[in-house]
Amino acid sequence: MSKFKFNIDPKDPQEDQITRHKNFGKVMQNYQRMTSPIYKKPLYRHRKLFLLIVLILLVAWLVSEYGEDNVKQHIIPTDSIQRTNS
Amino acid sequence: MNEHHKSENQIQLEQETVEAAKSDPAKFGLLYEKYFRQVFVFVFRRIGDEEQAADIVSNTFLKAMLALPKYVFKGVPFSAWLFRIASNEVNMYFRKTNKERIVSLDKSDLSTIIVESGENDSTDVQQKLLKALATLKPEEMQLIELRFFEKNAFLEIGEIMGITENNAKVRTYRIIDKLKQFLTKIGGI
Repeated sequence: MSKFKFNIDPKDPQEDQITRHKNFGKVMQNYQRMTSPIYKKPLYRHRKLFLLIVLILLVAWLVSEYGEDNVKQHIIPTDSIQRTNS
Repeated sequence: MNEHHKSENQIQLEQETVEAAKSDPAKFGLLYEKYFRQVFVFVFRRIGDEEQAADIVSNTFLKAMLALPKYVFKGVPFSAWLFRIASNEVNMYFRKTNKERIVSLDKSDLSTIIVESGENDSTDVQQKLLKALATLKPEEMQLIELRFFEKNAFLEIGEIMGITENNAKVRTYRIIDKLKQFLTKIGGI
């Protein structure tokens, strides 16, 4: 199969067809959206960053909660040590 | 001479607009107004679909605006740089969609290639030349399109394809030789 389709003596698009798609305002809007600094947008507008922060906070909370329980379980009360010694 | 060709003075004035747009993106609007039609036609001739062409043109101008601080004036019209971005966008479109590439040409362009290869023009040879063109690689076809179907100067072709002027010239004439050999093989010339 040929990689090309030859269009012989094609007609260029009409002026109104071309101007219908001309919209610098839209290009400018996209440009501003893509170049505005990250800190100027509310956090919820950056979906991925927002989810990442929520995930980090969740992991940090879980580690602190379960980490504390484990430490408590491994601490032997001092009075029980004294009793066994005597 | 086609509509892309400009005098030294025009190129210098345009460069001033480009420099102004680097510090004030709103001024890019002047370049957008000036080149929208040319870029649209360039893309439309390769895509053949109005809506798709409009999307690609919009992306082309957006990418041009984003990359404008890196733009370096090389003595060719700003349009050559825009065509380079548009050409990359068109290539990306074909890679994604796997569609057949559209090559728009006038019959007289075929005659130009035949004369360039030093042969006699006829309808039969034109038909065989089309078969020969169909065997080219996409980047080879791009050179032929830019030189013979859109009548760009080698300096501009070099800028559009990211190669030197001399390299563009050498590659183009190698392709002409290749086409000539193919035509000889199938008994065209």
